[in-house]
Amino acid sequence: MAQSGKGKLNYRCPSCFMRDLDIDMFYDEDKKEYYCIRCQYTGKEEDVLKNNEMIRFRYKAMNQRFQKFDFD
Amino acid sequence: MDKFVLNLIHRPEMVPEYAEKITGHGKAEDIGRKQLLTESLDIFKLQQETAHKNGLKTTIHMTYASLFNDEAVSIAKKHHAAYKDEIGLSLLGLPCKEFREKYKTKDFCIWMFSIEDKKQIVNDVFEKFHERFGFYPESTGSYYMDAELTNYIKEKYPTVKCAIATCWEEGPKAYHTCNNSWYTFLDGGPWAPWIPSKLNTHAPAANEAEDSGIVAIPHLSRDLIACYDGNGSNFGTHPQNVLRGMIYDSQTWDMPYFYNLVDQYRDLHKYNNGYAYNMMFVGPGWLNKMGRWEAPYELLKKSYEDGCAYYGKLKKEGKLTDLTMAEFADYYREKKHYEEPECALWRDILYGSDKQVFWYCDPYMRACVNMDQGGAIVDLRPYAAKLKWEVGIGTKHIQDASYPFLIQEKYRAGYFTHYAGEGTVRSAKISYQGEEIDLCLCRTKAHFSEKKDDNGKVSLRILTLDPVEIKFEGLTVVLQTTQYFKEGSGAIQIERKILSMSNPDAKVEINEYMVACYGTTEYPEDMTNITLKCIGKSEVKTIDYAYRCREAAIAEASEVNAVIPAIDTKVSLTVQDCSGVEGYVKEGYAFSPMFTLGYKKIISDKEVFTTWLNLEKAN
Repeated sequence: MAQSGKGKLNYRCPSCFMRDLDIDMFYDEDKKEYYCIRCQYTGKEEDVLKNNEMIRFRYKAMNQRFQKFDFD
Repeated sequence: MDKFVLNLIHRPEMVPEYAEKITGHGKAEDIGRKQLLTESLDIFKLQQETAHKNGLKTTIHMTYASLFNDEAVSIAKKHHAAYKDEIGLSLLGLPCKEFREKYKTKDFCIWMFSIEDKKQIVNDVFEKFHERFGFYPESTGSYYMDAELTNYIKEKYPTVKCAIATCWEEGPKAYHTCNNSWYTFLDGGPWAPWIPSKLNTHAPAANEAEDSGIVAIPHLSRDLIACYDGNGSNFGTHPQNVLRGMIYDSQTWDMPYFYNLVDQYRDLHKYNNGYAYNMMFVGPGWLNKMGRWEAPYELLKKSYEDGCAYYGKLKKEGKLTDLTMAEFADYYREKKHYEEPECALWRDILYGSDKQVFWYCDPYMRACVNMDQGGAIVDLRPYAAKLKWEVGIGTKHIQDASYPFLIQEKYRAGYFTHYAGEGTVRSAKISYQGEEIDLCLCRTKAHFSEKKDDNGKVSLRILTLDPVEIKFEGLTVVLQTTQYFKEGSGAIQIERKILSMSNPDAKVEINEYMVACYGTTEYPEDMTNITLKCIGKSEVKTIDYAYRCREAAIAEASEVNAVIPAIDTKVSLTVQDCSGVEGYVKEGYAFSPMFTLGYKKIISDKEVFTTWLNLEKAN
């Protein structure tokens, strides 16, 4: 089994991101998957991208433009 | 006239943070690689071009490495002549072959060096700058500038008038986000420009004698709610930080959050005599050709262009003034006086809640009032102590440059704790016939107002909270909280008024309390030198902290206080009228290493109970 490297983009672990950790993932060429070296997350690129969308669940106002910043 | 000022800063960093790690993955380290140097300069050129295209002038912060690069020096001179960009000197970007050969270290954060090395490095970089440009810079900066460093620079190079001196709430949270590998512990400082004191950079100077001689600006303008809770590096006026937080539409690459952040900062002029401020300073590592995490280069570039375009649009509309750092220092000194606070009534613009907080900063304290917790104070830094806190190799705090807290709701729980003990917070409990309700559970909103003194100068900031309803079994109480911040007082006056009761003849007990400790991180400190006192008319009760869970109380106490020698701080609660009150102090225990100061009083309908939280230097 050869050593792992970085993928075409340097994806972070979506599971660690959810707990405020920026952990670079590495790419396992043999298994064709990204994996986290801190937790047990593994996933293909599609799964990473899907989870990156899911991460945004807390940003309910992410696409909103605010006109007012007080409650007067 | 209202003014929204922007400082836009670029640095030609020949070995950008991150870039060597990213572009060099799979290669042995070589910070002199030609590919790295060429790319770094290209990024700087792109940033400058983007700013100028949008009609914005910049402050160019030359790094030590870039002073050895003829092209970088030449670009700076040309842009100074053509666009009036300021040429300043950064203490970031030290790593380069010349630096490593001379100092034989891979350290790169100026505040972490020994004081001898700090002085030598300052001499080297300032003299090299002079050699290349023929003058000394007026602005400098790093992620943090400790007081000893600033004092030395000001003494040796008095031309310096402005410095990037802290990165707001970059501390244990940033360390955690970087898998405990990013050693910048800088919590507890101001979020907006200030004049640092000579003794401690975070604490603003109260007068000319304390004045360090520079105007400090924060590294970026941070989201005052999101950044306090989560990774600060996701929530600031730094487009790529917003990408880091994944706060953009992955299909359209739009990032309304960035514009909301800018706009909310613009709105702060209402609380600061018509002045508001933004700082954008994106290091070249964030525009790496290889992309950054899941963001490809095209997205990184677009986000920077979008950010500059928005500032440019505001300028064209007459809503923004772009100044260089040196120009800003002159403006700031003319605009603000020493004791004038910085205020920010801030709302959530990301999670879609209506959560609102109020941040207050002056030479005596930094405080955060949380309206989602009934106006509880959830963060408190006793700047009154002007704590001497040397940092760097050879001191007691090699990396930890944070200003200590008395209250920090994230590192010391706050209202909610697991199973036992208490967290740090300043709130009140209302009791009636065996039931007890904490105002922390009464969500509300606040409104800001000011009051002028006899000379027509604004000297009092007032936070008036919407009334809250407290429902007991058989009694409903409507209570309003008002908080007063008087300039130069080092105190917060908190007034609770019973507006109505469903039974006007009922009486309730109010317990004004403050649970506190001290620290700079998530982990507890030794409390054994703390002394708690309850001061009455004819007696004083004292508890020397020993984790024994003791309590002391005195009827009609005039003051309850704690002295914390480790941070030279005395904190006290006092009342307007001692009659009918009971003052108390509580020691904590090993599982709850806190102390509590408080006052209890029985009050009736329409009655007002007023207390003060006071901060002083202990010795």
